[in-house]
This record gives sequence, structure tokens and C-alpha cells, in this order.
Amino acid sequence: MIGMEFFLVFAAILFAIGLYGILSSKRGLVTLMSIELMLNAANINFITFASYSGNAAGQVFVIMTIAVAAAEVAVGIALMLNAYKINKTTEVDELSTMRW
Amino acid sequence: MIGFVDYAWLVPLVPALCFVIVGLIGHKTPEKGGYIAIFGALFAFVMSALVAYDYYTSEAYKLGEAVIIGPIEWLNIGGYTVNFGVYIDSLACIMMLFASFISTMIFVYSIGYMGDQGEKKRRYYAEVSLFLTGMLGLAVSSNFLEMFVFWEVMGLCSYLLIGFWSYTHHEGDAASINAASAAKKAFLVTRAGDVCLMAGLFVLLYAFGSMDYATVFANAQQVYAQDPTLVNIGILLMFGGVIGKSAQFPLHDWLPDAMAGPTTVSALIHAATMVKAGVYLVARSYPLFVTSSDAMLFVAAIGGITAIYTASMALNNMNIKRVLAYSTLSQLGYMILALGAGAYLISMGMDMGGETGQTLITLGTMGYAAGILHMINHAFFKALLFLCSGSVIHATGTEDMRKMGGLRKTMPITAYTMLVGSLSIAGIPILSGFWSKDLVLEAAFAPFDNGLGAGSAFCILFILGMITAFMTAFYMFRMWFLTFTGEPRGHCHGESPKTMTVPLMILGVFAAFIGLIVLADFSYFIIQSLAPGLADALAANGLYLGFHDSMHILEEIFTNVWTYVAIVLAVVGIFIAYRMYVKRPYVAEDFDQTKKGFLYRLVANRYYFPQLYNQISWKLGYGVAKGVDIFDRNVIDGTVNGLSNAVVGSGEGLGQAQTGYVRDYAAYVVVGVLVIIAVVLLMVSYGGGF
Repeated sequence: MIGMEFFLVFAAILFAIGLYGILSSKRGLVTLMSIELMLNAANINFITFASYSGNAAGQVFVIMTIAVAAAEVAVGIALMLNAYKINKTTEVDELSTMRW
Repeated sequence: MIGFVDYAWLVPLVPALCFVIVGLIGHKTPEKGGYIAIFGALFAFVMSALVAYDYYTSEAYKLGEAVIIGPIEWLNIGGYTVNFGVYIDSLACIMMLFASFISTMIFVYSIGYMGDQGEKKRRYYAEVSLFLTGMLGLAVSSNFLEMFVFWEVMGLCSYLLIGFWSYTHHEGDAASINAASAAKKAFLVTRAGDVCLMAGLFVLLYAFGSMDYATVFANAQQVYAQDPTLVNIGILLMFGGVIGKSAQFPLHDWLPDAMAGPTTVSALIHAATMVKAGVYLVARSYPLFVTSSDAMLFVAAIGGITAIYTASMALNNMNIKRVLAYSTLSQLGYMILALGAGAYLISMGMDMGGETGQTLITLGTMGYAAGILHMINHAFFKALLFLCSGSVIHATGTEDMRKMGGLRKTMPITAYTMLVGSLSIAGIPILSGFWSKDLVLEAAFAPFDNGLGAGSAFCILFILGMITAFMTAFYMFRMWFLTFTGEPRGHCHGESPKTMTVPLMILGVFAAFIGLIVLADFSYFIIQSLAPGLADALAANGLYLGFHDSMHILEEIFTNVWTYVAIVLAVVGIFIAYRMYVKRPYVAEDFDQTKKGFLYRLVANRYYFPQLYNQISWKLGYGVAKGVDIFDRNVIDGTVNGLSNAVVGSGEGLGQAQTGYVRDYAAYVVVGVLVIIAVVLLMVSYGGGF
């Protein structure tokens, strides 16, 4: 059986990639994808712990997370589409006009 | 039996109603309410005459009692009751009579004098009616608080009327200011006195537990015996009110400025109302005042100093009304001097007892009578003089005597009535002023004559009074000669209308002969007003209220060498004025006030008293205001502004964190999470758990 640490390190790497993507990329779609990566890293952790402890609650949470993530992406994509219609770009740095 | 005396409250009430009527619908009546005001004053006079006659023939008068009507309970606070009532005695009768009579004359005169004022006449007639109400109410009040209310009514009216013409109005006098400032000054300076008076009334209330004249006068000696200091403080504080209202030194300076008002108002203030209120208060409080001889020495000294000090300022003034204003101040000083000296004599007489004491008391009551008589005489001749000057001003359009001259031919009635007034005030024998001035001086001389403790001080006051008599004759005739003799130096459109000259002639007759009442029953009549307070106290020491009958007064006046000295001084004063202003031709430099010597400028500038007032109010008042302003701006505003700036500043500072870049927010979240993790780890590793 593959050790638990492999899954956890894999999830951590996935999370770090997602975080890096958010912090470094100016593009809105990349940001959304990075968020998906981070969510999925969390999902992997849930499933790992659920599998190793024999508790189904973690798997239930993952189902929930996937559903929420789907909704979130739908909203996010819609926002991006509208931003594109106005700005002709999806770069998030262009969306800074609402600050003080 | 119900007589007119029971309706004495109508005397102030009818002018008060006239005030309301004129104030509300005066503009719809002829002369804008002038006739209503005249009716009110005339009614008050007729009613006063009936009341006075009724009182004179009543039992109360013969027994030496006052008639007290009412009293209605007005206030009942903390065990003290203040009543509203009417107190009629000989003093009240005299005040009502001359105030209402002179006011009637002045109101009639106003029809001519104020004829061109249009809509403003309604305001004028309403305010003078209220002014008269104040004086009559003061005269019939039955307690000190009620008196104080009317006292303040007059203060208000003087303010309103002095400021009637609110433009600059200072012909012939460098030291004057515009009417609005003059009104403000009159109000504020008399206020300084009124605060003293109010404090004095508090002391009285504390000492006597009542404000009623009857209670205070009946217990005056007893309370003084228990606590002399308290009563002394009360008396001196009350006298502070008199100093303010009757414009005694050092609060005299508002009166010359009050000349900015219409001349009729000046006449009203100087003759019938306002300044007489202070003298009246001293006379009214006599049973209280005689308890303290020291305070009375102070009162007499203030009177004597005021008399000469203010007379000196009349010597070189070029404004006809201001000469009269200074003359009023000086004559008020005489009245206060006589009343103070009389009270001092009575006070000493009560202490001494026996034969000598009785002599002193008799002399003291003469001083009292002299003060009142001078007040009456002054009311008539000063009303006359002011109305004459008003007539001159009406005809020439200026108050500057340098632009008058030779008016005797164009306006003879004014000239000769004014001559009567001037002769009377100068103290020429058998005219009114002669009698009262002589009695005043005699009263001032009496303490020295009888070798009393403060005799030397009174001797000085007497000499000051003598010099004042000389100055009075000089400045009155300087004014008369400058105005009515010589060559005309300005234009004049003839004699004034009948509504003005008829009151002048009536007042002229009174000004000449009213003083002769001293040869009738006057001394006895007026001294009856002292009886409710003093008769019992005197009887306890085996004394009584003695008085000089008319024959005695005649004998005393004409056998006294000082009488002849005073007459000679008056004649010399007139002669010097004649030499200076009639014999010598006028030269332009005579009237140039800037090129004169130091003394001349000192007097012309009123001894720099207005500047002193200003300095005090600027340095002190402005200094305090400035300090408060600095505190307000720096400390209070600083705190408030600092707080708001801190909030705004920190808000703006934090606002900088809102960059609008999604990555920045994400970075904050990451940093925050890292910090939380670090803290949790530290707590776990070092603290051994949560």
C-alpha cells in the first residue's frame, strides 16, 4: 500500500502550485484555474484521511466541495466574461478601478 | 373710607396702557400716538394731584404714616414673601406730581419737536410712555424688589430712547460717540450699578427677611445694632446702584453720551425720570441709611466730588446739550451731598441724644428737605433748559454753540425762558435754585459748624459746593451768552411753534417760583415721609423728628454770611462769563480746541475718563476674551480637530492597503494564514497546547 505521505506531499505540491499561480499570474482565467488546483489539493487531503481512517465523512465533504467549486467556477467565469466585455481583457489588474 | 388714594395704582397703570395702545395701534392715530401719550401723562398728573390732595388731608398724614394699598402676594419662595403693593407718602406724592407734570409738558413739546419724524413717532411715544410708567411705578412701589423692577424698566427705556437716532451726532464735542454706542454705554454702565443694587437687595433680604419698606424701616435700627457690618455692606451696595443710575462719580460718564438721543428724551431723563430715581432711592431708604454715619459720609463725599468734578467739564464744552448734561451731573451731586449730609447729621444726632442730638436731627431733616427740594427745583429748571436748548437746536439745526449766537432777536421766547432757567440754576435770590442750593450748602456745612467727627471732611465738601456754585453760574451764562447774544454765526429759521413755546413758558414760571414752596409747608410735608421709619426709633431715645419751619429757614438763610458769599460768587461767575463772551470780540482761535493748554484739553476730553473706560474694557475685557479665545481655538478646537484628524488620517492610511489588485489581497490572506500557523505552532511547541 502506498504510504499516506505520498498523497499528502502530492496535495501540498498541488496547493503550492495553485498558490503560486494566484500570486504570480495577472490573468483572470489562470487565477480561477489556480483556485481549482488549491481546492482539489484540499479534496485529495480529505479523501486521503477518509481512506486511511475508514471514515466516510471526508468523502461526503469532497462531494460537497466539488459541487460548491462547480458553482463558484460558474460565477467566476461569468464575472470574467463580463469583465472581458467591458475591458477587452481578462487581466485582473485592470479591474482595480473600484478601490478608494 | 375709600378715597382717591386707594386708586393710586392707576397712576403708573394708565401710562402703561398708553404704552401698549400706542405700541399696537399708534400709527393709526393722529400724531402717531402722541395725543394718547399726552393723555396718559396728563391723566397721571391729575390722578397724582388728587392722590396727593387726598393723602394730604387724610388721618394717616397727620399721624405720620404711609398709606399702603394691597399688598398682593407676588412671590413666595423659601419662606420669603414678596408683595406687590402701593406705598403712598409725601415723598411718593411729590415724585409722582413733578414726574407726571414735567412729562406732560415734554410730551406736548414733543408734538412740535418730533413732528418731522414720521413713522418713528409711534416708537418714540410708546417708549416715553413706558419710561414714565417706570418712574411712576418706582415712586409708588411698596417694596424694594417692586422698585427694582420699575428701576430696570427705566434702564431699558433709557437704552431704547438714547439710541433713537442711531447715527453719529457729536457736534462740538470731541469726546462723544454715536447714538448706538451711547445707548449701549448708558445701558452697560448703569448695569454695573444695578448689579450692586441687586446685591444690596439680597443683603437686605438676608438681614431683614423682607423687602417691604415698612418692615425694613421699622427694624432698621434694631438690625443695625445686631450686625452693623452687614447693614453697612447692604447700604453701600445699594448706593452703588444710585451711583450708576444717578450718574455719580465714577459711573458718571454715560450721561454726557446720552445726549445723542432726542433733546426731549434728554429732558425726560434729566428732569422727570431716570437720574432722579437714584436720588429717590436714597431719599426713600433714608430710615435705613441713617443707621450708618460712616456710609453717609461716603455718600456725601461722592455727591460733593461729583458736583465739582462734572461742573468743571461744563466750563469749556461747545455742545449746548452737553453743557446741560454736565450741569445735571453737578446738580445731582448737590442732591446726593445734601441727602448724605442730612443722614449723617441725623445719624450722629441719634447717637448723641439730648439737646445737641435734637439740634443735629433738626438740621439733618433740613438736609433731607434740601435734597428733595433741589430735586424738584432741578426737575423744573432742567426740563426748561433742555426744552429751550431743543428749541434752539430745532431752529438752527446744530448743537454746536460756535454756530449759534445772536438768537435772542430771532427767538425771544426761547431766549428769555432759558434766561429764567439759567438765573434759577445759578442761584439768584428768590428764584427756585437759590433756596434749594443754599439749603444744600447749609446742610453740607452743618457737621463742621457743629464740630462733629467728620466735620473737616464736610468743610471740604462745603467748599467744593461753593466753588461749584460759582462754576454753575459761569457755565450757564457762558452758554446763554454764546447762544443768544452777539452776532449770528449760523442760520436760524425763527421761533419754534406754539406746541414748543407754550410748555416752555409754563415751565419757566414753575422754574422760577416752585422753590417758594419751601416758604409754605414743604419741610413739614416732606419730613412726614421719614416718620414711619424714624419716629419710633427717635422716641426711644427721647428725641423727635424736628424740622425748621419756613420762618426759621428764611431767618437762617438771610442771616448766614455764606448765603451772601454764594450770591456774590454767582454774580461774579455771570460777570466773568459776560466779560469773556460778550465784551470781547470773538476770534476764531477761541473756538479751536486743539490749540489750548493742558488743562483745557484735559477738561474737554472729560479727564480722559472715556478713554479710561475703554482702556479698562479693552485691556481687561478684551484680554479675558482673548485668553478665552486662545483656549477655545487651541485647546478645545485642538482636541476636537485632533480627534477627527486622527480618525481621518488613520482611515486614509488604511485605505492605502486597498490596492484593488486581486493578487495583493491573496498575498494578505496567505501572510495572515502563515502568521496564524506560526502562532499556533509556537503555542503548541512552547506552551504545550492551547
